[in-house]
Amino acid sequence: MIHLTLFLAFAKIGLFSFGGGYAILAMIQQEVVLRYNWLSPSQFADVVAISQMTPGPIAINAATFIGYRQAGVTGSLVATLGVIFPSLLLMLVITLSYLRLRRLAWFQNIFAKLRWLSLGLIGAAMILISRGAFTDWFSVAVFVVCLAVYWRWRSNPLYILLGAAVVGIILG
Amino acid sequence: MRKSLPAIFLTFFKIGAFTIGGAYAMLPLIKREVVEKRQWITDLEFRDGLAAAQSCPGPIAINISVYIGLHLARGWGMLAAVLGTVLPSTITILAIAALFDRYAELAVVRKAFHALKPAVVALIAVPLIQMARQANLGWSNAWVPVVAMFLVGVTGVSPIWLILAMILFAVLQSLWQQRRQS
Repeated sequence: MIHLTLFLAFAKIGLFSFGGGYAILAMIQQEVVLRYNWLSPSQFADVVAISQMTPGPIAINAATFIGYRQAGVTGSLVATLGVIFPSLLLMLVITLSYLRLRRLAWFQNIFAKLRWLSLGLIGAAMILISRGAFTDWFSVAVFVVCLAVYWRWRSNPLYILLGAAVVGIILG
Repeated sequence: MRKSLPAIFLTFFKIGAFTIGGAYAMLPLIKREVVEKRQWITDLEFRDGLAAAQSCPGPIAINISVYIGLHLARGWGMLAAVLGTVLPSTITILAIAALFDRYAELAVVRKAFHALKPAVVALIAVPLIQMARQANLGWSNAWVPVVAMFLVGVTGVSPIWLILAMILFAVLQSLWQQRRQS
C-alpha cells in the first residue's frame, strides 16, 4: 500500500513540475511535508542540502531518499519510477509532435505564463525551507555570508556548501 | 543510425555521475558528450530537444535523456539513457539515506546541517533574483509570482491549482486574442 502511495505521490510531483530545479521544490514540499508528513520542514531542508551536494536532479534525489525512508530499497525504486514516469510518457508524445505544437500561439503562451508562476513557486520553496533553516542568529549570519559570496563570485554551489558545513562544524 | 545500448547507458551514466547541482549543471555536459564529442546528434537537434525538455513537466535532465535516447535507439535507447542518468543519483542517495538515521544525531553532523540549511536558502535566493530581473516583470504581471509565492509558501495552497489556473488563463487569453484579430 505504501508503495502505491509513494508511486502516485511522486508521479504527481513529476506531472506538475514545470521549469525544473528549484521550481519543483514547492511541489515536492506540498506532497511530502504538508500532505503526507513524510518529512518535517527541517528534514526537508536537510534533503535539499544533500541533493545540492550529490549528483543528479533534485526530484530524483528526493524521491530516492524519501522512498527509502518510507519503505526501504523497493520504496526508493517505486518513488523514483513514479517521478520519471510522466516524463517518459509526455516526452515521447512531445518529441513526436513538438515541432508542430511549437507554432501554435496558445501553446507558446502557456509556457510564457508558467514562467511567471515558476518564479513564485521558487520563492515559495525558499519560504518553506527558511522555516526549517533559520533557527537562530548563527543561521541568519551564514545565510548573509553565503548570499554575498555567491552573488559576488558566482562560485560553484558545491564549494559554498562545503564551506558552510566546515564553518558550521567549527563555529556552530 | 542506431547506437549501441551500452554506449548510450555509459555516456549518460558518466553525465549523471559528474554533474552536481541539478539540470543546469548537467546540460552543458550533455551537449559536450553527445553533440561535440560523439556527434550522435546535431546542435540543432539538441536545441530542439532542449526546448521540448523545458516545456515538458518533470526533471529537465530526465526529459532531455528521453529525447536523446529516443533519437539514438528508439524505446530501448530511451530506457538506456534514462537509466544512465538516474542510477548515479539513486546509488549515492541510497547510501546516504541508509546512513542518515544512524549519523543524523551526531553533534558534528547536526552542526554541519545547521549551517548547510541557510546556505541552501542563499543558493536559491541568488538565481531567483537573477531570474526575476530577466523576466521583464512590470506592474501588469509582477503580482503573479508575488501572489503565488504567498499562496504556496505561506497559506499552503497546492501548486497544482495555480498551474492549472495559469494554463487555463493562457489558453483563453490566446483564443480571445485570435478572435479579436480575425
